[in-house]
Amino acid sequence: MKLTTKLTLFITLSKLAIVLLFISLLPTLVESIASKYTNFYLREQQKKVMKTINKNGVDYYLQGEESYGSYTMLKEEYIALEPVSGKSLIDTIETSERVVEQDTLNYRVLIHTFQMGKKHYLLEIGKTTATISQYNRPLQRIASIVLITLILITLIADLIYTRFLLAPLDKIIKSKLLNRKFPFNEDSHPIKTSTSDFQYLDNSLISLMEQIHEAFEKEREFTANASHELMTPISILQNKIENLMVEADVSELVQRRLIEMHRTLNRLKKIVNSLLLISRIENEQFAKSDSVSVKELFEDVMEDISHRLEEKEISFSLELNNDVVIKRSNRDLLYQLIYNLINNAIKYNKPKGSIKVSDSYKGSFYQIIISDTGIGIPSDDIPTIFNRFKKSNLSEGGVGYGLGLSIVQSIANYHKIKIDVSSVIQSGTTFTLLFPKEVID
Amino acid sequence: MKILIVEDEKTLAYEVEAFLKKAFFICDLAHTARQGLEQIEVNQYDFVLLDLGLPDKDGLVVLEQAKKNNSEAAFIILTARGNIEDRIKGLDLGADDYLPKPFSLLELQSRIQAISRRKFGIKNQSIKLGEFSIDLQKRVVSKEENEIDLTRKEFDLLSYMLLHKNRVLTRIQLSEHIWGSFVDDDYDSNYIDVHIKNIRKKLGAHGQVDWLETVRGVGYKIKKQE
Repeated sequence: MKLTTKLTLFITLSKLAIVLLFISLLPTLVESIASKYTNFYLREQQKKVMKTINKNGVDYYLQGEESYGSYTMLKEEYIALEPVSGKSLIDTIETSERVVEQDTLNYRVLIHTFQMGKKHYLLEIGKTTATISQYNRPLQRIASIVLITLILITLIADLIYTRFLLAPLDKIIKSKLLNRKFPFNEDSHPIKTSTSDFQYLDNSLISLMEQIHEAFEKEREFTANASHELMTPISILQNKIENLMVEADVSELVQRRLIEMHRTLNRLKKIVNSLLLISRIENEQFAKSDSVSVKELFEDVMEDISHRLEEKEISFSLELNNDVVIKRSNRDLLYQLIYNLINNAIKYNKPKGSIKVSDSYKGSFYQIIISDTGIGIPSDDIPTIFNRFKKSNLSEGGVGYGLGLSIVQSIANYHKIKIDVSSVIQSGTTFTLLFPKEVID
Repeated sequence: MKILIVEDEKTLAYEVEAFLKKAFFICDLAHTARQGLEQIEVNQYDFVLLDLGLPDKDGLVVLEQAKKNNSEAAFIILTARGNIEDRIKGLDLGADDYLPKPFSLLELQSRIQAISRRKFGIKNQSIKLGEFSIDLQKRVVSKEENEIDLTRKEFDLLSYMLLHKNRVLTRIQLSEHIWGSFVDDDYDSNYIDVHIKNIRKKLGAHGQVDWLETVRGVGYKIKKQE
């Protein structure tokens, strides 16, 4: 589950729990507040009554009658005053029934005895319980609404904030991991965030990538330097052999030996040249500024290579249905790519076999399919055919794939071309080149 | 023709010198950029073969300086660096050709020849070869006004062998010429034989081609009596 989802879920559930708890407690809460307030109210009334009695005297109210009673028309509140004989002092608040003019009503009653002169009096102040709880429901409703609104507001604020808070994480993953291509050539910039944890993660990733980049760079530099350093001695040897071959007193035997040496030297030269080429491609030393017509490219390759078809009597068919131009590419490299693939298709073909080149659009790709009727590649070997110096057990006379396919892959990577290989032993191999649409015209 | 070889790798310089002397060029050697510049100032050269990785200065500096001093010489850059920027820079500075190391001496000679034709206006009349005549400028082989159709590579091979006539050329030397430093796995290819067969077939239909000899186990040569 995503972190934001988890946080969202947690925030929502915890708020929901709070709301439920509050709403379930609300009636008890409101009731207790109401009853406390009533008690307080009755006490206040008592103070006021006592104040006026002290001022005016009891007789002012009793006026010779046995008791005094006052109530409003709805009998919601009443005040009663009467002399009592007992000497016990009572001062309580209780809920009890009173009969007021034939109506029996439930009252919250404050009962208070006091002494005035030599007589004891009993004061009762009552409030109907109905009036006490009359505000409970609206109060509960308003409290619930206010609470829910507040919770909703904080919930939204929380969600927006967590999203904002976690945004750098997404950015770090996208900019540092997903959208970066090995070996991380471009410099990466730290993500702007005030969260130190993310800064830590970001910095760790940046330094990790720098290490990878450095290690890769060193290997690349080594290949380039080593190949370069080998060129001069090879050059000297080659020229020496060439000069020797035309010396007048060289016997036929020596001549032949010299040619063998030359051949071996040539092989060394090709290997070093291939390594240098790969390292230059990986160093991005080739400009990608050409627009290359696929049709012309194949025609040029075939012009150079078609004579090789004759020896094995291989038939070749070029069936390009689309007039496609590959933009932002390097013509020489694409030539080499196609050349190597066609050359392999010839080299590993059977006598009187065939090679077919076709093209089509597939999803967001333009694809060129090169299939041959050759000896095929064992499926176990397919993942490693692009590795440098990989040799196939099946290839005739111990001739390996050498560096040809490594070069193919370097060029393809450099142009963001995807290569699919499928093969059936003894019946043929198909190389599919998938070009992203943005380079196709 | 006078040639200056600016190359710090002495063994290599001597081999190039030995080869060019045999081809009747007059050669001087320089092993540093300073020496090279001094020699260019004092002498008139037709060609300067210039290595780029010199111990004291970059070879491109020599080229720039020499061009400033109005040197008439044609410059061929010989380098193991082989990166594209150097090549472009060299040609921008006025170099006439660029040959990546390791190179074949025969290839070097053919480049010198090509520049001579182009730069010094040496117009080879069409060269006689048996019953055929070959025009290197127009890249045409003909017999009595009849043009014979050869492919680009076939013509390249023929003219290369013609340039190095009476010398046996190995298959490697021939394929190196037509493929250049193009990276091809088939270092041991006998595809040259196919081309030679085609040349013989095409020209043979019009006349004798016994001047094109196969030297068993070695390669091919054009035998030509002047």
